[in-house]
Amino acid sequence: MIEFTSVWGAFALLGSDLNAWLYLLPGLVIGLVFGAMPGISITMAMAFALPATLYMDFLPAIIFLTAIYTGAGFGGSVPAVLMGIPGTSSAVATTFDGYPMARKGQHNQALGIALASSVIGCLMSYLLLLFLIAPVSNVVLRLGPLEMFAVAVWGMLLLGSLAGSHLSRGLLAGVFGVLLGTVGMNTAGFTRGTMGIPWLLDGIPQIPAMMGLLAASQLIGLINTNYLITDESSRKISFSKIVGGVRMALSYPTIIFRGSLIGVIIGAIPGVGSSISNLLSYSETKRNAPDGDTFGQGNPKGVIAAESANSSSEGGAMATMLALGIPGGGATAILLAAFAMHNIVGGPSFIANNKDIVYALIFSNFAQAILLLFVGLGFVYVASYVVRVPLRFLIPSVLVVATFGAYAIEGSAAGPITLWVFSVLGWAMVRYSYPVAAAVVGLLLGGLLEGNLLRTNQISGGDFIGYGLERPWALLIFALMLGSLMLQTLSKRRRRKQTEREAQANAASEAS
Amino acid sequence: MHSKVSRRNVLKATAGGVAMAALGMPSILRAQDGFPNRPINVIVPFDTGGYNDRLARAFAPFLQEALGQPLTIINRGGAGALLGHTFFLQQPDDGYTILCTSAAPYLPLNILTQDASFALEDFYMVNLPSQDYTLLATSSGSDIQTIDDVIARLKEDPGSLSVGLQPASADLVNFSILCEANDIDMEAVRIVTYDGGGPARNAVAGGVVDIGLVGGEGFLPLAEQIRPLLTFDVRQRDGWEGALVNEVLGEDPDFVVGSQRGWGLHASMQESNPEVFSTLVEAIETASKNPAAIEALKNQQLATDWYGPEESNQMLARTATVMEQYIDLLQGT
Amino acid sequence: MNTKPRRRIVWGHLLLLIVIVGVVIAYLLDTRAASLRINNLLLVQPASILALILAALVLPGIFPRSEATEEEPEKKETTGDLVRVFLLIAALAGLAFSLETIGFDIATFAFMVVALAICGEKRWWVNLGFSAIFTVALIYGYGSITPFPFPLTIL
Repeated sequence: MIEFTSVWGAFALLGSDLNAWLYLLPGLVIGLVFGAMPGISITMAMAFALPATLYMDFLPAIIFLTAIYTGAGFGGSVPAVLMGIPGTSSAVATTFDGYPMARKGQHNQALGIALASSVIGCLMSYLLLLFLIAPVSNVVLRLGPLEMFAVAVWGMLLLGSLAGSHLSRGLLAGVFGVLLGTVGMNTAGFTRGTMGIPWLLDGIPQIPAMMGLLAASQLIGLINTNYLITDESSRKISFSKIVGGVRMALSYPTIIFRGSLIGVIIGAIPGVGSSISNLLSYSETKRNAPDGDTFGQGNPKGVIAAESANSSSEGGAMATMLALGIPGGGATAILLAAFAMHNIVGGPSFIANNKDIVYALIFSNFAQAILLLFVGLGFVYVASYVVRVPLRFLIPSVLVVATFGAYAIEGSAAGPITLWVFSVLGWAMVRYSYPVAAAVVGLLLGGLLEGNLLRTNQISGGDFIGYGLERPWALLIFALMLGSLMLQTLSKRRRRKQTEREAQANAASEAS
Repeated sequence: MHSKVSRRNVLKATAGGVAMAALGMPSILRAQDGFPNRPINVIVPFDTGGYNDRLARAFAPFLQEALGQPLTIINRGGAGALLGHTFFLQQPDDGYTILCTSAAPYLPLNILTQDASFALEDFYMVNLPSQDYTLLATSSGSDIQTIDDVIARLKEDPGSLSVGLQPASADLVNFSILCEANDIDMEAVRIVTYDGGGPARNAVAGGVVDIGLVGGEGFLPLAEQIRPLLTFDVRQRDGWEGALVNEVLGEDPDFVVGSQRGWGLHASMQESNPEVFSTLVEAIETASKNPAAIEALKNQQLATDWYGPEESNQMLARTATVMEQYIDLLQGT
Repeated sequence: MNTKPRRRIVWGHLLLLIVIVGVVIAYLLDTRAASLRINNLLLVQPASILALILAALVLPGIFPRSEATEEEPEKKETTGDLVRVFLLIAALAGLAFSLETIGFDIATFAFMVVALAICGEKRWWVNLGFSAIFTVALIYGYGSITPFPFPLTIL
């Protein structure tokens, strides 16, 4: 499990060049700033820093890059909370409760909660990494299309709970989102719904569409309001309330643990990662919470669930990268390139031969997570001044920033045009009580659902059940999903009975 | 302060033809006062983090040195490089925009299957150092030992093996050639399509599919988890064991090479700006032969071999011709 | 049609539903036109049909009984408010579609000025000043971290 000689080796390595630690702070700050800009992805931030690391030694280069990775992972949560803009797909679930909290004047707490959950999630993920790296790497490659399909279906369960009071509208929004998520060339090479527009071949640009549905639509609807937070006395920027949020997050260790576990496991699956883990964690937390009905209206637990899962995905992705030498996403691809520049090639033999480097990476990430807590406190304090800006300035500014972000991520007017189309759609949906979040979830999962359903069909020759019975992991995922659903129904019934009994008891005592 | 000015120039430069035309300044006039006199843009028609992006970023410092002007890498990913290729051709052919791409298979694919607005002759490849090849492999734990096992099983029952590959790829063409040569009904084979080389390789390594055909260079980090069975090349590549294509398909076999990646220019520049054109070709050659560049790229598992324009363009044209024969296969799975 | 006088029509909702249903049907037809193979229709066809069924279930919500107040999102909304929303949407469209042709600098500045005016900033000097500063800051800020330059005309 943990080899102490390697641990000492790791400390020796980390202590060998104390100057390397000078890169920790700038790395985190660059990551935070880039991550907080909508449309600037973690991959972009790291790709920019990569040339600079060419001339560094191995240790500072890796510390610098992983610090950017960690910082950018949290940076995306800041606009998600303050403006409802998911700058990356991993911050989608953060907007569900973070933004309503901000609107209620609890922006300080929400940011504090997000920060603490991210820091702990990150710490937990690297702690889990210490123990899980070997078993995870054994399983990850064996996951076939049916297992991935099961994960996607699990994510779709979220639709049921997002639907709210208008069930049919919620489901329609979700299915509509799924359909839009399959536009373009599917995995078997068939092209649908592109209307002859070349950029639609890759599907509808996800991040601009999400920004439009979730954020721009809200902003347009706010045009007749003066401030983001209506109550003037709530518009304060309070350091003690941010710290209060940090403390509040600490009082829900189960949610953080569940989020981190989901994050590590889902994050380890190449190509799925943090964009799904935050949805799964949110959905599970909501289903298991006694006050699940208030999720989406600014329940702090929702923020904790989302943030602990998206930040812990970093550790999962790192596990796959280290154990197998394959990148789960763009960010780990850049890290691998940086490794390669220093003659270190990932893969199974890498872990066996370089345990000290692996431990050094893990320990330096502990340090990053802890430093992030302090840097992050300062960062969110400054960022939360946004709530004091009158909306007549904020709405145009944020719309322009979202447009720039949409352009940055797509590299062409395709981004801004998508943003516009989906902000109009989102505005109309909000107006007539359709949950836009359901459409976003559908949009995110549509491609994953179709691709893996299709591959399951191809691989099984159409015999889904016969093939499914040969896939223990898929059966396990489906069983867990059913179990979770059943537990929820049971506990709901128990709660209802309990309230009934209490009501009866009260009535009886009053009668006597 | 100074950097701000140069930044402005970069931005102005890429305002592209619109701004140029508006200023009424023919690009050729600017080029004459000593090319290059401002930064040069490198279009990479893929997103950050992929092979071409890494190649462009790793090679850029050495090309900068040879040209004496900084390079700006511009990622224009999407639609199988179609968007980036189209964007590149829309830029003026004044030498201030060059291309780093997987010329094969994407240029022929854009033309054959996506109704691209350009022809192969619009591009001039200066050097295609990275020459990938299809590797047919199975998981290291599989009971399939050799390519003969694969052929025997598929001959007996084409549905007995699942085959992972990417649709509309050189690998698909190679698989169909293999099937045709052995009278295997490809329609009946369980072909499993993946959206990229990475996922397809992971499926092979994890035993999710029985065999897979994917670009061989990308398999290197997974070497311990796979068993190579057949290399679609006439010489051994990257130390892979298993058969070579001529041992299975006979002498002078018909097959498609994999991705051919490297540096390209506007073909029209040969006439419109011949001096700029030769300056760029020479600079790419100098940088490719720079020992420091070779060392740095080798460390990142990136190719720098110098084949030169003549051979590079010939290789590309040959690939395009073979791919054209399989147009039906590439258009629909 | 109006056999029951107590029912109203929420026109905006009707329009939204028509758009959704229209997109779904067009997409299904386009998919079927591409190929009728199972590898093409596997998810899209059943999902489209499900969407159409769900749309039918939503339909009654468009014709609420007039005493039902729930279907009235425009409670305190005046026509003027709605006009401002549409103006803002139009301005955003102008920004999205003109960025690349007239340059990010001009398009952004023009949008800022118009949108600030729509959103209620009445002091013209504040409007112009803020728009100019914000445009410049954003173009240089974003411009320095994106992997490609923004097309510009003046800056």
